[in-house]
Amino acid sequence: MNGQTTTAATAVAATEVERETRTDAATAVADPWVTIVWNDPVNLMSYVSYVFESYFGYPPAKAQKLMMQVHHDGRAVVSSGPRERMEVDVQAMHGFGLWATLRQSGASDGGVEGGAAGGAA
Amino acid sequence: MTPFRSAPAGYVARWEDVEREVLGRVARDVAELVRAESGLEPGIEVGDGVAFTGVARVPQDPAVQRLLPDAHDEDADVATEFRHLTQTDLAAGKVARLLAFADAIESPDELPDDPRAGAEVVVPRESAQEFAGALTDVRLVLAERLGLVDDADVETLHDDVLSGVDEEDEDTDDADDTPDEFAGWERVGLSGPERRYWGGVFVAAGFAQESLVDEMLADLRAGRADG
Repeated sequence: MNGQTTTAATAVAATEVERETRTDAATAVADPWVTIVWNDPVNLMSYVSYVFESYFGYPPAKAQKLMMQVHHDGRAVVSSGPRERMEVDVQAMHGFGLWATLRQSGASDGGVEGGAAGGAA
Repeated sequence: MTPFRSAPAGYVARWEDVEREVLGRVARDVAELVRAESGLEPGIEVGDGVAFTGVARVPQDPAVQRLLPDAHDEDADVATEFRHLTQTDLAAGKVARLLAFADAIESPDELPDDPRAGAEVVVPRESAQEFAGALTDVRLVLAERLGLVDDADVETLHDDVLSGVDEEDEDTDDADDTPDEFAGWERVGLSGPERRYWGGVFVAAGFAQESLVDEMLADLRAGRADG
């Protein structure tokens, strides 16, 4: 009887762990975090390209595209992944003097519209 | 001031004495501002592992807020936590490279034969990123002080500085397009001569940074960059 109870409890616990693991995995896939770089009137376009190429290792064409997106749209998502990694990226961007924020990607839609105006605050 | 050019020793430009003095002084002022505003204790070195013990004071000065911005634009808790974890290291790094920048330009490697030609500023490749970063922080603070909010403000300032508006010619300036079109000027309360002076420093720092970064980018793409 004891044994059976233990087995049942173990089975329940195992199922719980499995469910949690699966939920974590699903969350990680559905909602990674992103690093957003915002436009500012000071940073040179060449410097922003340099940062994207040297720090992220992006090829010049991709760095250029993201830089132009920042310039014209007011912001661009420059990296995505787990929150901890995005925090590292945001800290690095602040180190370079770029204005960057992190956000959970699922919450980003619509939330950063009109981002260029944020610079005036 | 000549543009930076790639050379065996690094990136080399010639800056006149007054350019080295003014930019060095501004960099030291910015370093002190960052230190004071971020709650950084004097003597803290980068890499001391102070991130978890430093007091992450939220900067009150808008210029320092721009250097150490909120890491989340909506979630204050995320921004606060991030500031707590990173600000001391970030601020210490910025202070250190601003002081290194000032040291580098204030003591040139070689004195010029002709003082008017300016002394060589040599930026070794391995410290070029720090040098460019210090120029960025200086420019960001100057832009805040000059009230430069958007690209048009910066263009107007460039045009004014490069057109060589004469400081003695105050009346003509007022009749011309200089003062009132520059909305930020009124807002931050700089006088015309102050705006021209700091505007000149801003433009010079931008010129130096642009030529330096062009060379850094060329080296990076050619796979020649160190570190």
